[in-house]
Amino acid sequence: MEIKREDILHLAELSDFALDEREAESLKDDLAGIIKYISQLDELDTEGVEPTYQVFEMENVWREDEILPQDATREELLDLTKEAKDNQIKVPKVL
Amino acid sequence: MRIADKNHSAVEMVQEALNKAEHFSDHYIFTYINTENALKKAKEIDEKIARGEKVGRLAGVPYALKDNFLSPEGETTASAHILEGFTSPVTATAVQKLEDEGAIMIGRTNMDAFAHGSSTENSYYGPTLNAYDTERVAGGSSGGSAVAVALGIVQFATGTDTGGSIRQPASFNGVYGFKPTYGTISRYGVVAMASSTDCIGFFTQTPEDMDLLMSIASGQDRNDLTTLPDYYVNTESKSAKRVGVIKDFDNESVDEEIRDALRQKTEMLEKKGYEIVELEMPALKYALAAYYIIVPAEVASNLSRYDGIRYGLRSEKATDIETIYNDTRNEGFMPENKRRIMIGNFVLSSGFYDAYFLKAAKARTLIVEEYEKAFQKCDYILTPVSPNPAFKLGEKVNDPVAMYLEDVMSVSLNLAGVPGLAIPAGKTREDNLPIGLQIVGPRRSDKNLLAFAKECIDE
Amino acid sequence: MAEDYSVTGKDGKKYTPTIGIECHVQLRTKTKLFSEVDNDARGKEPNSCVSPVDYALPGMLPRLNGRAIKFAVRAGRAMNCEINPESRFDRKHYFYPDSPKGYQITQFYHPIIGAGYVELSSGRKIRIEHAHMEGDAGKLTHYATYSLVDLNRVDTPLIEIVSMPDIHSAQDAHDYAKELWRLMCYAGVTYGDLYNGNMRFDVNTSVAPEGAEELGTRTEVKNLNSFRSVERAVEYEIKRQIQVLEAGEKVKQETRGWNDATGQTTAQRSKEEAKDYRYMPEPDIPPVHLTEEFIENELKDFPLMPADYREKFRDTIKDDLLEILLDYPTLMKKLGDMDEKHITLMVNLFTSVLLAEEKSAEYLNDLPSAKDLNELAEMNEKKELSSTATKEVFLKLFDPQMKGRGTKNIAKELGLIQENDLGALEQIVDTVLAKPETKKAQEDYRAGEEKVLGFLIGQVMKESHGKANPSAVQQILREKLK
Repeated sequence: MEIKREDILHLAELSDFALDEREAESLKDDLAGIIKYISQLDELDTEGVEPTYQVFEMENVWREDEILPQDATREELLDLTKEAKDNQIKVPKVL
Repeated sequence: MRIADKNHSAVEMVQEALNKAEHFSDHYIFTYINTENALKKAKEIDEKIARGEKVGRLAGVPYALKDNFLSPEGETTASAHILEGFTSPVTATAVQKLEDEGAIMIGRTNMDAFAHGSSTENSYYGPTLNAYDTERVAGGSSGGSAVAVALGIVQFATGTDTGGSIRQPASFNGVYGFKPTYGTISRYGVVAMASSTDCIGFFTQTPEDMDLLMSIASGQDRNDLTTLPDYYVNTESKSAKRVGVIKDFDNESVDEEIRDALRQKTEMLEKKGYEIVELEMPALKYALAAYYIIVPAEVASNLSRYDGIRYGLRSEKATDIETIYNDTRNEGFMPENKRRIMIGNFVLSSGFYDAYFLKAAKARTLIVEEYEKAFQKCDYILTPVSPNPAFKLGEKVNDPVAMYLEDVMSVSLNLAGVPGLAIPAGKTREDNLPIGLQIVGPRRSDKNLLAFAKECIDE
Repeated sequence: MAEDYSVTGKDGKKYTPTIGIECHVQLRTKTKLFSEVDNDARGKEPNSCVSPVDYALPGMLPRLNGRAIKFAVRAGRAMNCEINPESRFDRKHYFYPDSPKGYQITQFYHPIIGAGYVELSSGRKIRIEHAHMEGDAGKLTHYATYSLVDLNRVDTPLIEIVSMPDIHSAQDAHDYAKELWRLMCYAGVTYGDLYNGNMRFDVNTSVAPEGAEELGTRTEVKNLNSFRSVERAVEYEIKRQIQVLEAGEKVKQETRGWNDATGQTTAQRSKEEAKDYRYMPEPDIPPVHLTEEFIENELKDFPLMPADYREKFRDTIKDDLLEILLDYPTLMKKLGDMDEKHITLMVNLFTSVLLAEEKSAEYLNDLPSAKDLNELAEMNEKKELSSTATKEVFLKLFDPQMKGRGTKNIAKELGLIQENDLGALEQIVDTVLAKPETKKAQEDYRAGEEKVLGFLIGQVMKESHGKANPSAVQQILREKLK
């Protein structure tokens, strides 16, 4: 399939990248090549085949509903952000 | 494994490793050197030994940590700009287990940013150079770890393998590199690339060292729901009789000298009385395409959390919430990260999901079944790791598909969740570059596979 | 449709409204869906209930809460739903500061709860399309120039219940929302605290000319947190959409916000193109496989539901009264535990005394034992307690100091037990009749003056310190003054 510029811009929007012209252009060619390659799968007959999402034969892996100490405190976590205020993460006003 | 005791002080071992790291600094192996902490810990171990106290199975052993393992020692950046400044309050399960046995991290190793790549050229810090030829790549994504072991700086290094990121750099640098069965070692605290194929493993100089590290690091972890019940240490030893070779890989797309190395190895095994079985695995032809659909999808998802809000980089240009996301992610990711995220969002987006992601998930089923059938005919499979030995720096970095083809013989193991060990298998005649082969086994055969690896060493 | 739900517009044309409701229910687990931190952040500091998993550090993985799965099974049972033996989690991707992972873990392809239905008090059935588990989002607070992010609510376990478009009036929308609330409370899966957002409703409304084949374009009003606002929002949307159609315009498919003060909905700023969430199977959580045994075991102590109580009390409690009582799960549970023959009295005490109390809210969470209440009812029936005394003792049963003392002892201590022992009563009557000040009254009565009997009864009551049973006293006096 052909990859158009607006496809790249749409994917950039889904990915939250502020691409500049030059980068958008080179990505257009790269992605076109990659999509061409992965499209080989069309040849493979998967009629009636169930999908595999995990190569892990276990199921029902869950835990007890008990409060436990965690690996990091609120202070350690909030120290990682650029700016905290009143024990919250401060960001520019979200509209 | 050489561990500290009354005659070998941990401080000397650590100092020696730090000196070597310094000596080879022009290979760009480390993104961080842990001098102070390492010497402090070594001193504590020497004191314990002096007091005659019990020490761990890795007491005083210096090791190199791939930069995508979380620990409070140094910044954990996965060699990506977007994680610049991130010092983790959390320690990865695998790291904790090594440290509990007395191992000492002397530095964090360079990698393709977020493990996206097969040459370590996609690192924000620049490429690591091959241990045998500084004009060639180290392989990747765990390039730094492979070279650190190859140059004898450390006895072992950690790695992650999502599609070949341990086995390929191991083969490019002539060391052992092991990708265990999916779920054998906890992924907790390791920067996620593709959750359904990510495996934690190691680089060593011998299969024996690999076995020791596996028995220490493996095991079920409540912090990773996809870890298997402790099977590794409880494996009953089972000797192999039949070794499979995959016809579909025996063609000119693979370097002649690598195919020769494979032939010599199978002849040697035949002489030792092993039966060599020829396998036809046609679905493997589609493994790479399926891989480059499934993995980018999981990559796009797993890398959504890097947004400049809670940790790591926040773009200087950002003025509002929108630009915090757009500019931070645009500046913080390498071109290859962006390619994979965008491909991932493409194969998951409405209208393409069935044709790409779902189709690849079905192809994955066929690949799993193909391996199951193969292991009814043989105990282990011997294949090349990559189609060629270490290539020149810059040779493929601008041609993503050519770079992806590096993984053509390694990714199917990750899709099937089966273990694979890269073993050294001689050098190329002209350039004296290491050649690697990989031993593939059924799920949970890891311990016996490492035992079989000793059989493959030439007398 | 059996009934006629049509609404007539100004020009006399008839329109049929169609409504579907999505409801988010916060589960009352101790810990969050994917980490072992406190799930009840009420009154706690911002970000004090946040683990590295909720904060979405690199390399963090979800740790599934088993009780949330069990609650989902109970919720499904409450709505007469299929429980799917195979379910999975999926990732729903979007960038917003209230979503640290950049995706929400939900169930898109294989939800745990399948089709079922909810029966309203009217007997009308609303079909459930499916219900799935997911994690809640964090909270943003907006200030003049910045916003603050609190992640306490991140990955609080939710069940999202999706109804079929079976609702056709504001009243039914109200009743459905209320019945869901009751079902989830009776099933014990939520605290049902609407004020704190334990249940939130998204309402999809459309109108179409009566008899039209196709449904009209729908609008969605999000995050309604009371039954009344659900009802009013639907009412408003039906009116508004009919006006739009009558003006010859088209209804725009959009999300609208509800303003409780003005009682109006207003269009919300949204991207033209529908969002693409890129749903993907969650690779960090193994599939959930529920066997029949597991489900049976989880439901073996499943409590009575409103429908069961309607059945149980059909003949003992009047419908309208029962509907009021059904809003108090603890009361219904207690009535269910009590002797059939005492129900009428208890309903009377609950409605006229308990619910009238200002402390009733806290009383409801700590009702007296069925044994104590049964005893109270028996004493009342044996006339050991007058109706006033019964009410007084009833309230004392809630008094922390009195708890566990037993109804009889409490009544004794308060000296409220009526004297019914005829022998004892006769003695009292005799002493009263022996008193000179009663002589005249006795003569007057014998002379046929009925009314003086009241005076004599009063004297006996006085003598007995009010413990005598007046009617018994009257009998004895009549005998003796023959």
